[in-house]
Amino acid sequence: MSKLLNWVDARFPLTKLWNEHVGQYYTPKNFNFWYYFGSLALFILVSQILTGIWLTMSYNPTEEGAFASVEHIMRDVEWGWLIRYLHAVGASLFFVVIYLHMFRGLLYGSYKAPRELVWLLGMFIYVTLMAEAFFGYLLPWGQMSFWGAKVITELFGAIPVIGEDLVVWIRGDYGVSGATLNRFFALHVIAVPLIIVGLVVLHIMALHEVGSNNPDGIEIKKVKDNNGNPVDGVPFHPYFTVKDFFGLMVFLTIFSLIVFFFPEMGGYFLEHSNFDAANFLVTPEHIAPVWYFTPFYAMLRAVPHEFLGVVTMGAGVAIFFVLPWLDRCPVRSVRYRSNFYKWLLVVFAVTFVGLGVLGTLPVDPMLTVLARIFTAVYFLFFLLMPIYTSFEKTKPVPERVTD
Amino acid sequence: MSKETVDTQRRKFLAVTTVAASSIGAAFIAVPFVKSWNPSAKAVAAGAPVLADISQLKAGEQMIVEWRRRPVWIVKRTPEAVESLTKVLGELRDPDSQKSDQPEYVKNTHRSLKPEILVLVGICTHLGCSPKYKPEVGSVNDDWQGGFFCPCHGSAFDMAGRVFKGVPAPTNMQVPPYAFLDDTKILIGVNPDDDLSEWKA
Amino acid sequence: MMQRLLFLVLACGVGLVSASGHQFALDHAPINLRDKASLQRGAQLFANYCQGCHSLQFMRYRRLAEDSGMVDESGNVLTTLVKDNLMFSVDKIGDTMLTAMQADDAKKWFASIPPPDLSLTARKNGADWLYTYLRAFYKDETRPWGVNNAVFDNVAMPHVLVGLQGVQMPVYKENEHGKKVIEKLELQTPGLLPPEEYNKRVADLVNFLVYVSEPGQLTRQQIGVWVVMFLIVMSLLAYFLKRAYWKDVH
Repeated sequence: MSKLLNWVDARFPLTKLWNEHVGQYYTPKNFNFWYYFGSLALFILVSQILTGIWLTMSYNPTEEGAFASVEHIMRDVEWGWLIRYLHAVGASLFFVVIYLHMFRGLLYGSYKAPRELVWLLGMFIYVTLMAEAFFGYLLPWGQMSFWGAKVITELFGAIPVIGEDLVVWIRGDYGVSGATLNRFFALHVIAVPLIIVGLVVLHIMALHEVGSNNPDGIEIKKVKDNNGNPVDGVPFHPYFTVKDFFGLMVFLTIFSLIVFFFPEMGGYFLEHSNFDAANFLVTPEHIAPVWYFTPFYAMLRAVPHEFLGVVTMGAGVAIFFVLPWLDRCPVRSVRYRSNFYKWLLVVFAVTFVGLGVLGTLPVDPMLTVLARIFTAVYFLFFLLMPIYTSFEKTKPVPERVTD
Repeated sequence: MSKETVDTQRRKFLAVTTVAASSIGAAFIAVPFVKSWNPSAKAVAAGAPVLADISQLKAGEQMIVEWRRRPVWIVKRTPEAVESLTKVLGELRDPDSQKSDQPEYVKNTHRSLKPEILVLVGICTHLGCSPKYKPEVGSVNDDWQGGFFCPCHGSAFDMAGRVFKGVPAPTNMQVPPYAFLDDTKILIGVNPDDDLSEWKA
Repeated sequence: MMQRLLFLVLACGVGLVSASGHQFALDHAPINLRDKASLQRGAQLFANYCQGCHSLQFMRYRRLAEDSGMVDESGNVLTTLVKDNLMFSVDKIGDTMLTAMQADDAKKWFASIPPPDLSLTARKNGADWLYTYLRAFYKDETRPWGVNNAVFDNVAMPHVLVGLQGVQMPVYKENEHGKKVIEKLELQTPGLLPPEEYNKRVADLVNFLVYVSEPGQLTRQQIGVWVVMFLIVMSLLAYFLKRAYWKDVH
């Protein structure tokens, strides 16, 4: 075995890669609960790809056959129902994990120098993931699939001058049709997954280049032992392989509870109206995007102007990109920042969730007022950040990690 | 025993147990992915037995029906054709059908339930082409007593689908399971001792 | 403390309120997919009263027979039994449960709204909605079929089960906004069955439709028990493994 390893190592940096990124990648020893979500996201990506490939074996990407092919998978294909549920529930859980993963970044300042690129790459992954979910959602060709795609592609029409032609070009037809379905299928199955995988590789490489942050926000590389290893770090393998394995088992338990007992999740993971085949003559009572898009959907509806609403919605996502440069506080972790900022983070979280809830509800005058307030708070959190973070009363940051 | 060795032993034990349990789990999760490749209920339904009506089949004629995506031939052999089956015994590679694929109940001299009716899967046992029906004596070569000739690589079979010596095909042609519902109806895909009540109108 | 508060806030936000669009209160449908006799009765009701117009295009007879106990001791489907009771045309046991009504005719007879396929109606509308709907028809002379429905206003469907249920009349009241709404329905002319018996039959039919909407439900839950138990054991094992390695850290 070691002979084989030597043969490979002479031709490919296998052991070198293993040591650099796993065997001797020193990771802060004070990782807490918030640090499980990166590895979980990676697991879900693999799961989605595997279950996705298997679904493609039986799925029919045509207007006439798509809806029936999904039911064919659910009923006729052996274990097809399980593969379908794993994929649908996996998609929603992917976003749960990603939002928690991103929130960890907010908590501990993981986006600050020298990790701005890690954050940017992560944001690109997020946006690409949203596109992937959007394309994928059309594929079952249910009522919500169709009308959701129609509404969202329609938004591009708000762009001045080129808008109308752009919408037709995106759809490949005068309305959302089989042409749209076919191309969304191609994008969802191969184009976007390739981009995501590529970005994830870059994301991890960028992280490993500077080393991981930690809940105390301090640089563990500052204090090293006689061997040149950070005293507050432990090698990723075996310490974090076993820890992340534990995290994975707990996650899989929750994943399985949902897949086997609540796959529809009350209509939020698998929407009720999507059990009706697409019918472009009948609009469903209530069109809403899937829950993970609703925070931004609420912003869109809050603004009483078509084009500006679209801009606001886009800005809601885009503003995350510039976070590393908005936050002027020299302290990374919320543990050592002002109480004011701690509460602000709570407020931001409440705002984001609140917008999400509002996005699932039908339009209502009172709720629109609330959505506008939330949208304003959301943007002010970011836009005023350069000001209020410059004057923060921070606590002294320790030299070594705590607990 | 020092504390370190105890810890190492414990670690090793737990690691081994975990890996073992995970392998079991992995095997279980692999099952749905592997099994999903089996024919779906739709394919199984499409593979249901097929009824062939031979009331209009004249002596010497061949009809073709589809069963499980394969051509199945039904040939009404003439009395001369049935007689020829014994004439060619010496030229056959496997005259007793020891190596070929057919139900037990057709392991006889005429490879069929009734001597005059032949049922075969119309696929050459060489590389899968569909041979041509050549019933006329002398139509393929001077000694030809009637049978099937495959144009792809020259394999030849007699009027019971048995393969001749010296041709590429290794075995006799396959006989599918079949049963007579009555004198004019053959059901391909079932055996005579199966429960046929649902097809008897 | 801060972490827990944050997480609690996020978790609470996930408990969502959904606005109900129904004015007429829905009754709770007694669903029990383990009751095979009920599934069989429901299938029979469907074949006799509904399949003339409605298809179940994703449900195969064979699957229905296997799952509802129409099999012999060895587990072979009792094909003749199924054919005699549930299949009234030339369908084969492996076929899906289609309707004899032609699509063109359906469009003509039902003013361009053909009777929809019902394979997934229970997932789309819910069991409670279906159960209430099938018991909420009432007499309405202004409608083409002479009936309306308290749950589905101006429905295009006739009350196929009127012979069994009888004829109901609406009792109106004024709601908070001063609008006239149906408070309840009262039986004016009795049908063949007393109300409790009719309710049971409808429950069978809805039970059947819930089954049809996802035939693998029971299997899914049964397997799920084992999977979750296995993963709990794995989680415990993984926890001890993790602890064994992390004991010498800090």
